[in-house]
Amino acid sequence: MELITGQIELLGRIFLYLLPALPATIYVTVLSFLLSLVLGLAVGMAEISPRKWLSLPAKIYVDTFRGIPLLVLIFFFYFGLGTILNLERMAAGIIAIGVCYAAYQAEIFRSGIEAISHGQYEAALSLGMTRGQVMRHVILPQSIRIVLPPTANEFIACLKDSSLVSIIGLREITRAGREFYSQYFVDFQTWFVVGLVYLIMTLTLSRLVVRLEKRFAIVGYGKKP
Amino acid sequence: MSIIEINNVARRFGSVVALDGVSLNVERGERLVIIGPSGSGKSTLLRTINGLEPLDDGEIIIDGVHLDRNHRQIHEIRLEVGMVFQQFNLFPHLTVKRNIVLPQTVVRRRSEAEAGEKAMMLLAKVGLTDKAESYPGELSGGQQQRVAIARALGMDPKVMLFDEATSALDPEMIGEVLGVMKQLASEGMTMLVVTHEIGFAREVADRVAFIDGGKIVEIGPPAQIFDHPGQLRTAEFLAKVL
Ligand SMILES: Nc1ncnc2c1ncn2[C@@H]1O[C@H](COP(=O)(O)OP(=O)(O)O)[C@@H](O)[C@H]1O
Ligand SMILES: [Mg+2]
Repeated sequence: MELITGQIELLGRIFLYLLPALPATIYVTVLSFLLSLVLGLAVGMAEISPRKWLSLPAKIYVDTFRGIPLLVLIFFFYFGLGTILNLERMAAGIIAIGVCYAAYQAEIFRSGIEAISHGQYEAALSLGMTRGQVMRHVILPQSIRIVLPPTANEFIACLKDSSLVSIIGLREITRAGREFYSQYFVDFQTWFVVGLVYLIMTLTLSRLVVRLEKRFAIVGYGKKP
Repeated sequence: MSIIEINNVARRFGSVVALDGVSLNVERGERLVIIGPSGSGKSTLLRTINGLEPLDDGEIIIDGVHLDRNHRQIHEIRLEVGMVFQQFNLFPHLTVKRNIVLPQTVVRRRSEAEAGEKAMMLLAKVGLTDKAESYPGELSGGQQQRVAIARALGMDPKVMLFDEATSALDPEMIGEVLGVMKQLASEGMTMLVVTHEIGFAREVADRVAFIDGGKIVEIGPPAQIFDHPGQLRTAEFLAKVL
């Protein structure tokens, strides 16, 4: 009995030790993901541009950053570019993740826009809408619904991958876990709690995604006319 | 003055000549039916008339507005010309009513109330008042096409183009769409109709144009084209479809 309460108390202590590092995890995740959204939208739109000088660099971007491990990018942005540009850990970590995730996000945006039939685009033009109006009123409202689920999944993946920045000494929860371990040498319990904290966040998010998907579903969509 | 003047229009796709110097005048209130084999350039002709397809040569004048290679007046042209497609192309994320309201508010800058009233009036006209709050995905093909016609009419076009509006429909739904088109014709709308429905052409058309190889082979009243075609190619085509 005493053993069990002792263990539970230990788990609680680990949890409380991790807590102050939680904002850093959230901060890195949210900022790098926002960066990936903005950059990904730009790259995704460039990819489908009829202008080669836009689409070619965009395709090269996607291929390049999807082909390099995120961990290597983090090293590159912190130890490589970071030393030259004097980047802090936080900035280097956020940029590395953002740049990497933008490559995946660009593909998601591209397919979301391409999924809308060309016929709808032409119908809207024939009604007298300008290209901008077609984008705003016809393409994007539908693309958002298509893009939402995979984007939410990317966000969850991004949250998990934020643990990688612990390796350059950024004190988020994985790093805090390592600190706790090196003080008290309770490896099983430490990593159990660290994993649990991530799991609670990711499970909450994925349940939210399911709700959003239902909310944004289009009636009768995807049915053959 | 003709409402549509098409002068020597050409359109090429690489080595394919889709339109090979087409000239054609359409009068106000005229119903012109265009027939011809697959790949003869019928769709391309309609698409050039509302600027979905650029011109490689020639010019098109619609009610005094010029459309040339530079496409400067393309917006003015599209305001005058409504188009109905084979695949309906309704916006699936909007209700039937919103489909008709949106272009009116965005393009014609009408108020929601005015556009809504017009939408309901048009839905009554195509017999779909009870579907106003449905989504396109909930409608049959025939119903969707009638909504697409109402949507185009919402912009008060002077000319309506129909590109095989009934070709994607199950046979039992063709009649309801042709019915709406006939009603429109009886109200004096200028219409260019690409169709394989010879019965409709006989009943409604003022003139029938037979297109082959990107050229107008023959044009005239339906009785002449269908019963006494002057060209061998026309006769051969009709023998296949009749
Ligand atoms: N976007 C395009 N790209 C290449 N070829 C095209 C394109 N649109 C039409 N064509 C070609 O132009 C010719 C005329 O096509 P179209 O006007 O669609 O014929 P129809 O409507 O009479 O069947 C065909 O040979 C077709 O393959
Ligand atoms: Mg065609």
